[in-house]
Amino acid sequence: MDNPAIYLWIPIIVVSFLSIVKMINKGGPKGKPWIRIEKVEDNE
Amino acid sequence: MSNHLSMRSGNPALQASTFKKHLTSSVESKMTLSGTVNKTGISLLLVIISAGYTWGNPGMHILMIPAGIVGFILALATVFKPTIGHITVPAYAVAQGILLGVISMYFNAMYPGIVVQAVFLTFGTLGALLLAYKSGLIAATENFKLGIAAATGGIAILYLINFIMGFFGSGIGIISSNNNMGILFSGFVVVIAALNLVLDFDFIEEGAEMGAPKYMEWYGAFGLLVTLIWLYLEILRLLAKLQSRR
Repeated sequence: MDNPAIYLWIPIIVVSFLSIVKMINKGGPKGKPWIRIEKVEDNE
Repeated sequence: MSNHLSMRSGNPALQASTFKKHLTSSVESKMTLSGTVNKTGISLLLVIISAGYTWGNPGMHILMIPAGIVGFILALATVFKPTIGHITVPAYAVAQGILLGVISMYFNAMYPGIVVQAVFLTFGTLGALLLAYKSGLIAATENFKLGIAAATGGIAILYLINFIMGFFGSGIGIISSNNNMGILFSGFVVVIAALNLVLDFDFIEEGAEMGAPKYMEWYGAFGLLVTLIWLYLEILRLLAKLQSRR
């Protein structure tokens, strides 16, 4: 074990990665999309 | 969000009824998230400056014990009178900085480079837990708060017993031992200290939502500061145990 601090970074990186994945997938296929294109009516 | 009135935290500074006692009907000067973040930043800066100054001036090392005592008194003053937080919290940050500067210097003398690693790991943990909290990966539910509060209380009792045993030349081996059990124990304490950050984020967010008075920003910053200092010291201890096995 050259530098034990490296092993302590593993949970930090895993938690950060999972959080980012969760943020990205927050909408999901049924959820609110990041970009929404709506049809605009004539008088809207 | 209304269920946050029954807040529970492992941090002794952040108790369930803290905000309820300080709710204000005034429209002006309410606690905000950005205000608390700013005050946390100022407090952290004061800790870093005073720790850096102490590290570079060995003559300051005689102030270690007085700084510890003054820090403890200021912490009690902040808990019992949050309205003077704008004075006590920066002063507490300076006192803790002196203490941390001396402790860090001794650790670094034994294991060179350990302090830089501990500082980066502490802020890395803060960033990761902030992401986890904002994304909802870790939610501060009532059961979560109860579990962390119980674990924190258990650790506090264990440390208190160890402190008292120290007067009789004894102690609880697992706290300072570098065997497998000692490292597992330190790892567990680091995890509990890190999870206390989630309770702090929740406490601050709810304080802002509930319209707590402006001075509670200093109180929220104080809670976060206490947890961060504890986390840093536990990471330092864990790294020292790991380094001593090499």
